[in-house]
Amino acid sequence: MRKRANPIIVCRCEDVTLDEVEKILEKGYRDLESIKRLLRVGMGPCQGRTCIPLLIRLLARRLKKDPEELLIPPSRPPLTPIPIRLFVEDEKRAED
Amino acid sequence: MLKTDVVIIGGGISGISTAFWLIKRGIKNVVVVEKAYIGSGSTFKCATGIRASFTSEEHVVLMRESINLWKALSQELGFSYMRGGYVWLLSNEDQLKAFRELSRIHNSFGVPTRIISVEDVEKLVSKIDTRSILCALYDPLAGKADPFEALYSMAGFLRSAGVRILQQVEATRILQNGPQVVGVETTKGIIQGPIVVVAAGYETRGLVKTVDVDLPLKNVPHHAVITEAYKRAFDPLLVDAASGSYLVQTFHGGFIMGTEIEEREEAQPTPRVDFLYKVASVWIKYLPWLRNVNFLRYWVGYYVMSPDNHPIIGPLPEIDGLYVAAGFSGHGFMMGPIVGKILAEWIIDGKPSIPQAARLSYKRIEEGKLIHEKAVIG
Ligand SMILES: Cc1cc2nc3c(=O)[nH]c(=O)nc-3n(C[C@H](O)[C@H](O)[C@H](O)COP(=O)(O)OP(=O)(O)OC[C@H]3O[C@@H](n4cnc5c(N)ncnc54)[C@H](O)[C@@H]3O)c2cc1C
Repeated sequence: MRKRANPIIVCRCEDVTLDEVEKILEKGYRDLESIKRLLRVGMGPCQGRTCIPLLIRLLARRLKKDPEELLIPPSRPPLTPIPIRLFVEDEKRAED
Repeated sequence: MLKTDVVIIGGGISGISTAFWLIKRGIKNVVVVEKAYIGSGSTFKCATGIRASFTSEEHVVLMRESINLWKALSQELGFSYMRGGYVWLLSNEDQLKAFRELSRIHNSFGVPTRIISVEDVEKLVSKIDTRSILCALYDPLAGKADPFEALYSMAGFLRSAGVRILQQVEATRILQNGPQVVGVETTKGIIQGPIVVVAAGYETRGLVKTVDVDLPLKNVPHHAVITEAYKRAFDPLLVDAASGSYLVQTFHGGFIMGTEIEEREEAQPTPRVDFLYKVASVWIKYLPWLRNVNFLRYWVGYYVMSPDNHPIIGPLPEIDGLYVAAGFSGHGFMMGPIVGKILAEWIIDGKPSIPQAARLSYKRIEEGKLIHEKAVIG
């Protein structure tokens, strides 16, 4: 496999490069749910806001598949990281 | 039409581990059918915990064997596994009494749990606030494994051994000819095979109903949340015995937390804000620094419950060639390695080598000989 001198970053939170994605595709994985867990793309603080749409486009073009066959990971709550203290009653009152 | 020796329905830890042991035992033609992607059932939603500190002889003995296999497999396949221990935090005399008795049972089966002091807890878990606890039960043999690495490395082994893992293919019916299984009908056609293993987690009951056997399995939603990743804080998995809550730091660094909340059987897995309130209040009490840590991701999966909290593993007596592994009642990840080995033994030798394993087959349900297990958490 060719390796780029200047790696193209796909996921900034988890520092995943395009080369790494290509390598996973070569192993035969064809869906985003698996690529996510193999490389941790989309599992960092931004929860896949930039990398998942990027990968959807890349895979749809490359594999000529319908979006539902790509198994796009659902967004899980909370949509943005939130401090645990906001879920403790007395501390919440103190902050209000 | 695809023809094979063994068809396994379900690409979770149970199905993948069964394929793994069949290959190790020399069976060559194995096909795994997975309706979404491998791990997509409960396996990738689990809290990664592995322990033998249970209350029934069957569980203690089999989990102890599974722990031996976890170590060997992690070395062979190169995935993250460690014996970081479990610490069960005890807050009153009644709990202490109950856990002393449990420890005696564990010890009698060679699982070295022991009661430890508050000072010992502080040594194992840095920066823990111990004011509300009396002491703890320590299980040094327990630990954790990375479910993604474990499953993907086993799947990699299987692929290089020629096993076909068909993803996004759903089994719709088990096919029989009289008393003999002959294959599986799927959304991509029929797969013929004289042996079928149903390891389909929350859908096992529905699939086995297609051959008129009704397994008493119930799906109950369970919740877990993970924080952003931090550098390693401590190794053991913590359990708050009073509330049935747990907390563990993953190898990647996030803290996974869970707790018991009321849920209805067969309810849709749906996030609930009251879960976050409960789990936060339990763990901030012990680990005050969690206040400033962020919740990152929250998910809900099923515990597939059996009537006695023990899985059903083995053949179904009425139908030749049909085997099941399901109903793990919240601890099927840790059991995965031994479950695959037990099923391979049922299939190849006609019975498992460990007597306690044979007792977990469907026969006990038919005969009404249920086994007791109290230590279900989260
Ligand atoms: C929040 C939570 C925390 C947990 N924590 C722990 C823990 O710390 N330790 C532990 O040991 N256990 C834990 N568990 C339990 C553990 O996750 C399960 O017991 C275990 O993963 C079961 O594995 P399995 O392979 O039997 O089932 P699953 O992982 O559910 O696999 C079944 C597979 O079958 C597939 N399938 C279903 N129907 C079909 C069909 N018709 N055709 C084809 N494929 C099909 C599914 O897509 C799925 O991939 C936890 C569970 C949850 C929900």
